[in-house]
Amino acid sequence: MKNEKAMKKIFLFLMISLLVSGTVKAQQYDSKSSLGFKPSSYYSFGWNTLWTIGDFNKWVGNGSPAGFNLGGRYFIAGTNFAAGFNIQWQRVWQDYPAQTFYAANGIALTAMNYRFTWMVPFQAAVDYYFMPSKMISPYISLGIGGDYMEHHLLIQEYDISKTYWDFSLTPEIGALIKFGAFSNWGANIAFNYKWTTNRIDLYNGNALTNLQMLQLRIGLCMFIR
Amino acid sequence: MVSCSKYPPASSRLLEDLAVLTQYDVNTNFGLCKTYSIVDSIYYITGKDSSMVLTPSARLVLNQIIGNMNARGFKQVAKSAKPDLGINIAAIKTTTTTIYYPGWYWGYPGYYSPGWWGYGNGYYYPYYPSYYTSYSAGTLVMEMVNFKAITPSGQVPVVWDVFIRGLFTSTHTSSDVTGAIDQSFAQNPTIKTSL
Repeated sequence: MKNEKAMKKIFLFLMISLLVSGTVKAQQYDSKSSLGFKPSSYYSFGWNTLWTIGDFNKWVGNGSPAGFNLGGRYFIAGTNFAAGFNIQWQRVWQDYPAQTFYAANGIALTAMNYRFTWMVPFQAAVDYYFMPSKMISPYISLGIGGDYMEHHLLIQEYDISKTYWDFSLTPEIGALIKFGAFSNWGANIAFNYKWTTNRIDLYNGNALTNLQMLQLRIGLCMFIR
Repeated sequence: MVSCSKYPPASSRLLEDLAVLTQYDVNTNFGLCKTYSIVDSIYYITGKDSSMVLTPSARLVLNQIIGNMNARGFKQVAKSAKPDLGINIAAIKTTTTTIYYPGWYWGYPGYYSPGWWGYGNGYYYPYYPSYYTSYSAGTLVMEMVNFKAITPSGQVPVVWDVFIRGLFTSTHTSSDVTGAIDQSFAQNPTIKTSL
């Protein structure tokens, strides 16, 4: 739990630091004006909602709006491609009333249990923007990276937990929406599917593998010209 | 990395809800046992005091256990009829959260000892028992002892332990408690006779 809080604080600190440094840089170029512009790069900070699917949904069936994402993209000169990164923090959880767990040596326990997983995904991403200089620019993206995940099963006063690192792939569709033709600020809306090699083996002895999820992200973008 | 540690509960409901922990001796063939006897009151331990209780609630608990044992094919007989199995019942409410060794209450004066049953020289676990903590939440303990497997030195094995925890937290109805007793049998289908 301490790890989780510390990671959350570090993550928020990084996001604020990057946004502040980006604001200073943006102000230096703000005197330029044109009929729309293609940014050289942008940073985004988004609110992330996650829905578990597949085996992951057997562990926690709830969707969770408890997530934040920080991203940065750098356009490749002369193309509509951009490359960059995503860092995220996310938590999913659910109460389960009166379930029975069996262990070796004739042990069985029936009790309410509380399950949660928190994760810090980090990915490199490549995007293709269909209309990067327009106010609304749809895009497709592929993220490749990994996650740090902690899975916790709380029964009575006991917390049984397991930690895994993984490899992950995230195809995404989304759009950048500038607040004006010349605005350095805009919104980002994105929907993605994520496949990971992460696993949970606290679930009644049966390993849940290749955890998958769907995610919706709504965020604020700062464009650098 | 795997860990299992004490953890502040995310929700107090985790502790308020009734929990049923059971452990049986996997080497005991319950099918070879036919008769049983059960104590006639519940041994109540609170702090360092103890007493025998036979309130309507205690009767309800005893009758629910008898109903489940009979449904598993066992035949209830008097203690004097030399039953194959004996069932001890205790309710425990301590004020501390100290971790106790399993069977710590065996030494309390008045607890149903092997001598009370007319047998042996103390109880023992034929398996490595689970540690169970936080008796402060209120725990109903049911122990099944096997008089057919008394050791040469006179020790009587405890072949099934049931801990129903949370009796004194929140509000639990009689049906909650009887339901927990039913659950203790439901999660141990091997506790039945084949005679």
